[in-house]
Amino acid sequence: MTSELFNTNKFLIMSNMKISFFSIQKIITGFMWLLFICIFSYVLFNFSNIPQVKLGDLFRFNGFVALIWSVVTFFSGLIASYSENYLSGFRYQNKFSLLSLGFMMSIMVFVSANHILIFLVMWLLMGFIMSRLIGVHSDWGEAKEASKFAFNNFLLGSLFLSLGLVLLALNTNSVTLSDILANLNSVPHYVLLIAALFVIIAAIIQSAIFPFHKWLLSAMTAPTPASALMHAGFVNGSGILLTLLAVLLVESKSLNILFLVGGLTAILAQFTKLIQVQVKQKLACSTIAQMGFMIMQCGLGFFNAAIAHLILHGFYKAYLFLSSGEEIQSSDIQKPLNITIKPLQALAVLFFGIMGAFLFNYFTGKSFALDSSLFLTLIVAITVGQATYNIVKEKHLTPLQKTFLPTVLFFIGISTYALMYNAVTILMDDMAIVSQSYKMSFMEVVFGVIFFIGFFIMKLGVYKNYPWLYVKLLNMSQPQKKTILMYKP
Amino acid sequence: MIDISIKHSIEEASKVIGKTWPLYSFVTSNPLSGYENQHFTKAIKQARLFLNAQVFPNASLFRDALDQGAINRKLLVKMLKENAFTESPEFYLSQLATGKNEITNDTHNLDRTMSKWLAVFMDEGLAEWEMPNKQKGFFKAWRKLAVHDNSLPKLNLDDIPLSSEEALSSILKDFPKEDYIKIFTYHLAALPGWTGYINYRNTTKSIRQETYPIILQDYLAVRLCIAKITNAKIAPEKTTTPDEDKLFKLQYIWLQAWEKSWQSELERLLKSQKITHDFNKESANDLEAQMVFCIDTRSELIRRHVESAGKYETYGYAGFFGIAMDYKSLDNELIRKSCPPILDSSYQASEVTLENQKEQFAKYTRITKLNQFKEYILKRMKNMLPSAFGFVEGSGVLYFLFLIARTFAPGYLLKINKNNSIDHESFCEPQLKIIDDTSDNEEKISLEVKVNIIKSAFDLMGWKSFSPIILLVGHGSHSANNPFGSSLDCGACAASPGRHNARVFAKLANDIEVRKNLKELHDIDIPESTVFIGAEHNTTTDEIILFDSDVPKSHFKTVANLKLNLAKAQQTATQERMGIKNGSVALANKKANNWSDTRPEWGLAKNASFIIGPRSLTQGKNLDGRCFLHSYDWKTDENGKALEAIMQGPMVVTQWINNHYYFAMVDNNIFGGGSKITHNITGKFGVVQGNGGDLKMGLPLQSLQETDSKMYHQPLRLSVVIQAPISRVSEILLRNDNIKTLFDNEWIYLMVLDPTDNNNFHYYEKRLVWISENTKINNRNQHQNSHVFEMEESII
Repeated sequence: MTSELFNTNKFLIMSNMKISFFSIQKIITGFMWLLFICIFSYVLFNFSNIPQVKLGDLFRFNGFVALIWSVVTFFSGLIASYSENYLSGFRYQNKFSLLSLGFMMSIMVFVSANHILIFLVMWLLMGFIMSRLIGVHSDWGEAKEASKFAFNNFLLGSLFLSLGLVLLALNTNSVTLSDILANLNSVPHYVLLIAALFVIIAAIIQSAIFPFHKWLLSAMTAPTPASALMHAGFVNGSGILLTLLAVLLVESKSLNILFLVGGLTAILAQFTKLIQVQVKQKLACSTIAQMGFMIMQCGLGFFNAAIAHLILHGFYKAYLFLSSGEEIQSSDIQKPLNITIKPLQALAVLFFGIMGAFLFNYFTGKSFALDSSLFLTLIVAITVGQATYNIVKEKHLTPLQKTFLPTVLFFIGISTYALMYNAVTILMDDMAIVSQSYKMSFMEVVFGVIFFIGFFIMKLGVYKNYPWLYVKLLNMSQPQKKTILMYKP
Repeated sequence: MIDISIKHSIEEASKVIGKTWPLYSFVTSNPLSGYENQHFTKAIKQARLFLNAQVFPNASLFRDALDQGAINRKLLVKMLKENAFTESPEFYLSQLATGKNEITNDTHNLDRTMSKWLAVFMDEGLAEWEMPNKQKGFFKAWRKLAVHDNSLPKLNLDDIPLSSEEALSSILKDFPKEDYIKIFTYHLAALPGWTGYINYRNTTKSIRQETYPIILQDYLAVRLCIAKITNAKIAPEKTTTPDEDKLFKLQYIWLQAWEKSWQSELERLLKSQKITHDFNKESANDLEAQMVFCIDTRSELIRRHVESAGKYETYGYAGFFGIAMDYKSLDNELIRKSCPPILDSSYQASEVTLENQKEQFAKYTRITKLNQFKEYILKRMKNMLPSAFGFVEGSGVLYFLFLIARTFAPGYLLKINKNNSIDHESFCEPQLKIIDDTSDNEEKISLEVKVNIIKSAFDLMGWKSFSPIILLVGHGSHSANNPFGSSLDCGACAASPGRHNARVFAKLANDIEVRKNLKELHDIDIPESTVFIGAEHNTTTDEIILFDSDVPKSHFKTVANLKLNLAKAQQTATQERMGIKNGSVALANKKANNWSDTRPEWGLAKNASFIIGPRSLTQGKNLDGRCFLHSYDWKTDENGKALEAIMQGPMVVTQWINNHYYFAMVDNNIFGGGSKITHNITGKFGVVQGNGGDLKMGLPLQSLQETDSKMYHQPLRLSVVIQAPISRVSEILLRNDNIKTLFDNEWIYLMVLDPTDNNNFHYYEKRLVWISENTKINNRNQHQNSHVFEMEESII
């Protein structure tokens, strides 16, 4: 208990800090950021004329690849920076860093692969690494179970993807994606349809779309930053996959399937989110709903909108995961909400909603023609209307604020979105049919109506009168049995 | 009619669980408080049996302690020998290295189902759609939903008894009554975190608990119903306790050797201090300021640095400053406790705007309301269909900017936030009223009560003279993205920041009426020139802020100088704490606002002793933040009343804290919170690990360990050191059985430095027997054959 003793301790701590300066995770983090800066500045400087490059039959490079590379390196770098501090002292910190690096590389190689073997191996590797991240805490029984469960899902996905692509390869006599997609017209339609179905199954497993949602709800054994990587990166794999194979989905006329599966999931997951009492499960339900929406956008033929969505959602969800420790709060008992609306307020809602729709269409170059793009416009209009509704009803805002706040907020929201959307569209310019509106289908009209009904059900809180629904949703969203309380520490 | 024996058995069985505190007011309490009337060793044996917990530090901690010299090898060898363990410590270390292995949970399905229902029932607003029928109570709400639960066999409503009483009676009718306690213990101990939270809700009786009642009986009824429906075990199998007596004994010797090593270090340190410097003898006129800090171990460091920054004198006093109050927040009108959990609150403090500051107040309110609206609209936009999708697209770019800013510039963000926020302390003053008094009337608190609050502070601390400025320094912590943030706040204020109490105290002590009364009736003469100022020590950054909005002009210069010196103290204190020379304040600021920092500060880790005595005992000594310090002067406390109050209040609080740290350290998964990196917040009040499971009841690994394997806190039972005549302490023990029990049962240790006996150290053994180096004092004049290191046969 002498002061000398303390000084030596301090010295030890300091020398430890010095040693850790050259640690594996520092090097990996630096590498990720360096890669990001290189790729991103390349994209910035060659924005509208990124060349298409092919590396034999193995790889290819284009604007889309550059875009995904910058997104992936950004998330990897950010999460690595966060983890350096957050995971310090964690027994498996180095393992975590290496797995994150592996994950980043596997996506980068995947998106640029042209040979289907590389493409498939990377798809599986991505899943394998993610499952390892879920179970990175390897002396924790439940984590191992969750890891195993997730990997089984991913293995199944890989199997379906392999079947689909091999089927096409055999029918087109080619082994590269570009050749396969160029020769689809020689393949019988039923084969196309089967292949497309298999691809869709692979995609929705990756995105935890209903009924494959369970692995994501059982993946909270991953350290928080790994979850951020999963929700901002991994689950988006399906958006990338579907975009790369967009031609197949269009040719096989299976867009409606995507729209249906995505739409159902979006609604179901959004309701399931309402009952979640754990923050990470709540975020997971939100991710599932957002992925559903992204798949819907694919189903509408707007693959570029889907890509813009997955990037923006990535920012959003990474932030929410990384700050998920902030939900502790002493609070009052919830009071029922006042949901009445005055005529003048309704008028404001209507006005801003329509203005929002116009602004959106103007900025993103869409028309008001009766085609599938109308659906996206509708979503924007309702969102704007919803926000307006909350603003005009707020007692503590002055009339001036009530006028200006919506205007400013919507302008910023819609224009930043349009910026992203247009940038994505330009970068994806050289890809076939990624942004094409189709004649509005019956199903789209139905879903438009369903969304409206869903909106009102939520708004009015009618669902609260159905306890059986509560129990159904509760049971549906429980983690896989073995990943919770299976062992005693 | 419920069987009386059922009610009684539940009560008896509930001793196995402690209280799980909500994380927004996290109190570090003893998880084994139900067993405190038993001997420590007996209690931990029960815990080991029922909770499947480790109850001693594991072998690697012992090894580290031995290697670092925290366990004195000589002492250890001697103690081992005395108990007939003649081999080397290393030999026994290898015997101790029998780690706990993960085993399959044989009540897995039952536990899973229960934690599902408990989590949704006790949610405090995380879910938009609450569990239906909550207002009917846990059992009845579950009963209504159970018929829809397809994870259970198909049920009709008639299959489930109407109430928890009926359910328990009908299920237990096949079991003998004497088995009830065993059955209940078994089921309560299966999810000690959740049942501990039920326990907590039952003792606090909040509005939420009254609206949505849940009691242990409900829990047991639901659990036994599900057990019966799914054919799970109702009664535990007969377990034969493994014969580990020798191992247990060994572990206990190691623990005691560690504790004794610390005690002798401390003894040596305290003895090296020449106690000639008479406490408070120096005329306070020479002093520029006196400051009262909380007894918190973190005060030890800052006090040292403040003292060396100028002509300042510091005191230690429980950080609620003797005011048993609740505090009503100005922001959201929520009321929270702001005094030790062992006290019932008598007053409530709230903020009133100063006359000339109405404008500031209006501005503040506007900002607060705007923030609340922002939160509300965000929640609505995220939850609603389909705005959730549009919202994500419209706000994504903003989240991108937030991600960058919070990851790379947390210190800078803190600065911006600081500059943009208005502290309500600058335009409000606290007002105290009797609790439950609906009128806002301060007058109802009699002058006598106010005077008493101030007087007892001076009495307890042995205060004699007054300098021009007296700071009351409460403490609070600031950290970002930290579910355990409140565990770093003031424990004496029930895990709230201590600033409110400090301000209330300052206001009372500045009151002319109070001063007049103190002078006339109690002979306490506070000079007119003395000003009391409330302050707060930010324990994450070591900054001390003063709430000095109403300090008279005459003191401006001194206050300005004081602030300068406090900034110097912050500099040197953070240098010592962070172990770096340059940029220590910047680093501390960064840690306070870094969302990726799981160890923003160390809280009360390393606590090992509670020293009750004048500052002169410890002044100038580096105690490494291991000691709680309470000022006390035995000479001014002839009847021992002050000491008794200190032992009844603050000492018991330090025992709670210390025992919590001990158990959270020896089995972090059971008694602690496990690692923060996989925490999942549940219901806005707690955390679970990973996908769910039992509610975590204690401090996380990051509050106790430097890394997964390297310890920071040393799991030792608290050694209380008192400077007072031994007879006085003995008398207090005689009068207070609850305190004596804590020592007799060895939950904590007691050492006395007797000033009437040359300040020699006397160690309390038990039943009022004291041991010093050469002599044994027996206050009861009974001869007992005891030995320092002897352990009672009956308990081993």
